Amino acid sequence: MSPASDAIDRVIRRGRAIMVAGLLGVAAVYVLSLGFTPPEASQGLAFKILYVHAPSAWAMETAFVMVGLTGALYLWLGDRRLDVFAEASATVGMVFGAILLLSGPIWGKTIWGAWWVWDPRLTFTLLLYLLFAGYFALRSALSDPVERARFGAVIGIMGTVLVPFIHLTVYLFRSQHPMPVLGRPPCPPDSPNCAPALPWVLLRPLLLSFVAFTTLYIGFVTTRYGIGLRRVEEESRDAG
Amino acid sequence: MPDNGNYLTAAYIVAAVILVGYAVVLWRAGKQ
Repeated sequence: MSPASDAIDRVIRRGRAIMVAGLLGVAAVYVLSLGFTPPEASQGLAFKILYVHAPSAWAMETAFVMVGLTGALYLWLGDRRLDVFAEASATVGMVFGAILLLSGPIWGKTIWGAWWVWDPRLTFTLLLYLLFAGYFALRSALSDPVERARFGAVIGIMGTVLVPFIHLTVYLFRSQHPMPVLGRPPCPPDSPNCAPALPWVLLRPLLLSFVAFTTLYIGFVTTRYGIGLRRVEEESRDAG
Repeated sequence: MPDNGNYLTAAYIVAAVILVGYAVVLWRAGKQ
């Protein structure tokens, strides 16, 4: 086995270990949420959907931002490993995006009474997801690896630009999507409509879920990156 | 307080199936 193959195997092994740690973290979130967290006063048990929905959004957006950043670096440096990482991150982003776009409507059906509304936050998130579906369609249509990486990088950068915009949709538009629960400023003294900050008992699983999903993103993307590197090495070995 | 535990169960099952399923796919693909 070549030193390069050894290094790739190490990347995959490391990724798998982080992936297992992430899955254990998610299991801990489930135990904490279902066994040790009371239902929220107005939403009941459905509030706890937040503990998979919000960290999925975070992980998806992190993944897609990384596609844009590594894509921009690829355009600058031309290192193929950056494109392999970008593709890996886009794949993982689609996985977290699937959880986001499925858990959201389940919450919406019980709280809003509708599976889907064409709210700016929801619509632009769907648009971002479809943009990255197009990213894969474009990549699979191009056989030249340099062309594939270059066009993929451009789409990735476009997606990255959408991410902060999606984050701001709840402030920029009349949106019925709930406002962020983290980083919310304290309520002014006489404002009856201001939602108070989450109590610690409801915040605790949310913070743990962000840690678990971030770990899982790192584990998934590292493993997928290693698999991508191995494919490139096999291709170059076959070509040579 | 609304009785909506079934929605929570559905969301958690969907998330677990996707995460564990993808982890298994990656694990198998990572084998030489």
